[in-house]
Amino acid sequence: MKVEMRQKLAREPFAEKIRKVAQLIRLAKTFPRRAARPRPAAKPDFTR
Amino acid sequence: MAINQPSDNLPLADVLRAANDLVTAKLIEDWALGGALAAIYYVEPFTTYDADIFFIPTDKGLTAGIPTIYAHLHAQGWRVEREHLMVRGFPVQFLAAHGLTEEAVREAERIEYDGESAKVFQAEHIIAIAASVGRAKDKVRIEQLLQQADVDKSRLETILKRHKLKLPTV
Repeated sequence: MKVEMRQKLAREPFAEKIRKVAQLIRLAKTFPRRAARPRPAAKPDFTR
Repeated sequence: MAINQPSDNLPLADVLRAANDLVTAKLIEDWALGGALAAIYYVEPFTTYDADIFFIPTDKGLTAGIPTIYAHLHAQGWRVEREHLMVRGFPVQFLAAHGLTEEAVREAERIEYDGESAKVFQAEHIIAIAASVGRAKDKVRIEQLLQQADVDKSRLETILKRHKLKLPTV
């Protein structure tokens, strides 16, 4: 996000920002970050 | 609405009201909002999962009156979960202020939020506290505040010098 956009958000009234924090919390609960799955170890290629 | 009925909104007004009630009940001397929610007063909104209320205790003993405060709020319907008090599913931590945080409470900015009078740490104190803690998220907070808030640089320097702190190098 551009610096000017972030500064504009920073200047919003506190009550409006708190409403946005609540939205962010709801979003984070709806779409939780999944932990990265460990990749399976590469199988050795015996055909070479 | 009952105090522990879950809410879609962040129950900040309930938190501030409870802190004001603690002053009326003479369980604390003074208080201010600190932590992430105080930072959000000055910068763009971001996700946070709790509210930090820093208070100056009336009880100057070792426990700073925390058991009495928790018992008082528990009696009013707040649930206790580990170190947090839960209001409408939102965790709140009451932290006894001392040194830098006590200064931050005493010099905090007075605000009105949803009909409740409150105090919020000033941006310069949030930066100094973040510098004293020094986690990765504190460095991000310092950067955000320096970019987005109207920080009084000379006041910040004075606070940092008084508490023998330095801003982290990013």
